Amino acid sequence: MEQFAAVKRSKDGQPVRYLIVDDSVFARKNLARMIESFGGQVAAEAGDGLTAISEFDRTHPDIVLMDITMPQMEGIEAAEKIVQAHPEARVVMVSSVGYQENIVAALQRGARHFVQKPVKPEVLYEVIKYVMGEDGAVATAASTGA
Amino acid sequence: MTNPPDERGAELRELFFETSQELLQALNEETLKLEKNPGDEEIVRSIRRTVHTLKGDSAACGLRELSELAHQFEDALSLEGTAAHAALAEIAFAAADVFGAIIAAYQGRTGLPSTEALRQRISELTTAPPIPHARRKKKPAQSTPDSGKDWTPAEKQAIAEAQAAGAPLYEVVVKIDPHCTMPIAARQMIQHAISALGQVLVVRPDTKSPSASKQVEFVFASENGKEEIAVKCHIPTISGDVSINPIQTAPLQASIAGGEMIASPTIGGQHSAAPAANPVSASSPGTPAAPQPPSNETPPAPASETAPAHVAAENILRVEAGRIDNVLNLVGELIIGKSMLQQALNELAGRYPKEPLRGKFADAMAFQSRVLNDLQRSVMKIRMVPVEQLFRRFPRIVRDVARQCGREVDLELFGQETDLDKGILDIIAEPLTHLVRNAVSHGIETAEERRAKGKAPRGKIRLNAYHQGNQVLVEVSDDGRGIDVQMIRNRAIELGMVTAEEAAHFTEAETLNLIFRPGFSTAKQITEVSGRGVGMDVVQSVLQRMKATIHTETHLGRGTTFRLKLPLTLAIIKALMFWVEQRLYAIPLNAVSQIARGFESEVHQVDNYEVLQLRNQVLPLLRLGSPLAAHIDRKSQKLFVLVITVGERKYGLIVDALEGEEELVIKALDDQTFSTDLVNGASILGDGKVVLILNLPAVVEHISHARPEAVGRANYGLLLNAADRARLALGAAGGRA
Repeated sequence: MEQFAAVKRSKDGQPVRYLIVDDSVFARKNLARMIESFGGQVAAEAGDGLTAISEFDRTHPDIVLMDITMPQMEGIEAAEKIVQAHPEARVVMVSSVGYQENIVAALQRGARHFVQKPVKPEVLYEVIKYVMGEDGAVATAASTGA
Repeated sequence: MTNPPDERGAELRELFFETSQELLQALNEETLKLEKNPGDEEIVRSIRRTVHTLKGDSAACGLRELSELAHQFEDALSLEGTAAHAALAEIAFAAADVFGAIIAAYQGRTGLPSTEALRQRISELTTAPPIPHARRKKKPAQSTPDSGKDWTPAEKQAIAEAQAAGAPLYEVVVKIDPHCTMPIAARQMIQHAISALGQVLVVRPDTKSPSASKQVEFVFASENGKEEIAVKCHIPTISGDVSINPIQTAPLQASIAGGEMIASPTIGGQHSAAPAANPVSASSPGTPAAPQPPSNETPPAPASETAPAHVAAENILRVEAGRIDNVLNLVGELIIGKSMLQQALNELAGRYPKEPLRGKFADAMAFQSRVLNDLQRSVMKIRMVPVEQLFRRFPRIVRDVARQCGREVDLELFGQETDLDKGILDIIAEPLTHLVRNAVSHGIETAEERRAKGKAPRGKIRLNAYHQGNQVLVEVSDDGRGIDVQMIRNRAIELGMVTAEEAAHFTEAETLNLIFRPGFSTAKQITEVSGRGVGMDVVQSVLQRMKATIHTETHLGRGTTFRLKLPLTLAIIKALMFWVEQRLYAIPLNAVSQIARGFESEVHQVDNYEVLQLRNQVLPLLRLGSPLAAHIDRKSQKLFVLVITVGERKYGLIVDALEGEEELVIKALDDQTFSTDLVNGASILGDGKVVLILNLPAVVEHISHARPEAVGRANYGLLLNAADRARLALGAAGGRA
């Protein structure tokens, strides 16, 4: 997998922490690997929207990667609830092409960005940098030891 | 990352193969539900969700054929009216099968199966219902002019007001990244980004316009400079080129009408933008342009009141089974180590009976063995999985077989939460499937037959699993016609498997066991009694390989139950060890119900069998030793008899001396040095002795097979023939080497 310069939190230089929400174990694992290659850290995973909300409250991640179609509570609703409770939450929707309306709806409800499945690492990387904005800093090559 | 790319890909694929099985299972289960509740939209939605996930996962692995097919099916499922389609369940089953076949082909690196039939069936879904397919994605033809330079009155009004307020106006054109497949969502993002900097007055083109997927144009009032706007508009993966042109106060119609703005971001415009961008002193702090946070309505709600009840954070590890086996193996070695230590300690105690350290050693030993026990149990627990993993595949199997042979069958599952070693579960999958299929096709009668017999027209098949002592029992029962024992007997005689005299002495259980004989299975159709025998020998041999037994219980006209008795684990057994002709053997302790002493004089001869009367029971005897040794000094010779249970029958196993009981770690014997099914494996004791672990069902079976030859030597009863003994002895010698 390609090497990415690590994106750290600018306030404390710590790894960016992620909450990965997807009902597919496979998809979660796949995202987790990408995130680790960005120097990030998986704070929690959830397989449905309800769990996502409680996991968000528990771990306060920097970024939420949210699938759209899930059992229990769908991604849009979960994203909306999370953003309502935590306006600073950075929710990135992850979904397939066919779900454009859902993505639009999620964006209207406070999601910050979206990536399309199958997720390409280089795309996700750019999105993460963008979503982190000034709160994220690309570490220089020397400091990516960890 | 440490993994090279292809290795990572391979690992991901492995994960996919594993998780996709669960998805297929879910698909099957959901479809079964759908079949029972046709047209249930909720179920159709969950089917769609499953297919969707499968599509996404397979696409991420680059398994294009599968993801395309899943995509096609998913699309069909999202059409209105699909839920009501009569053949939907059929097609979903077919899809599950084809998906499964494709995955298997990927896994085995073989050619992909044909998907044409399925594609056609899927297209039935999209064409058959009369409802015109309103595909969600397709937008109707354009309804508004492409890029509207002609503002609506409301827009004109807004622009005029913003101008009056003194805010600098910009026309912003953002090209949407051509790789972005969701232009509408992209547009939403861009609009979102830009509205954080100022007030969006006009957005063009309409989302329904075809050009909406290419670019988006705004008229925008903002206090921010061009640079900032440009930065904001540049969103990775979303936007391509951005052009920003300040709109002069003058006739906006004209300035906007240019059309090809993007191509010519005039330098003049840039210059004029600069002064306009710093209006700090001049205009009022533009009210309309106040940056608005994206979601402004709701105040931050108090962080959820309910304490986050520590949700099971999906703390599940997926570990390759081989690694656990490795640990289990090491635990086994530790147990051998423990018995070595125990042995040394005993020697020490014998040599220095007064040594005060002995107590300390004994304490330490006791502690160690307790921890070892716990360790062993914990590791074994890792390997345990609920039998549900196996049971859940049966609803689909029963349904399919029932359809094929025109039966009406309900399947009931019990005890799904019973834990069983994963290895054992995998091994019994095939025999169990066989039993279930047979139960449907041969056990259950047709609806008419059942009605005629006064039974409910729908047959019932029951799968049950439960613990009993150190074993797990799995039962397959049906309420069908049962097995005609007399018929089996006749058939076996007809096939020359048993003589009429022998058959006459067979108990019902023994007769039923005939159906597991290889010869029986190849018999041509036995009507009525059915092809129950087809492949039953396979069932038997698979079970024997892992010390499992099968017991058949049948009631003519009321049904049949097959009861599988399975060991909890394959790796370690509690065993009783004994000597026969200076060789050490072991058998599972739970097979032994009693240890008795007797004299040769009490051994009787009944119909070529040696039997021993022990209290009120008469036991057929099994001798592992050679006939000659048994001859010496008969009558007065004392015997050790182990009363063992194999299947449902008891036997007396004659041994020379007992060694004791011990936990044995079974070491598999590789087939090349040792090819007999009489022995399950070997184990090494603390003092380095090798012990062979007998496979009792096979030993008993073997002896009964050897019967015809043994007839001539009536005196020796149930004996292993010379070749068998030689094989056992050889094994012991080989194991020691």
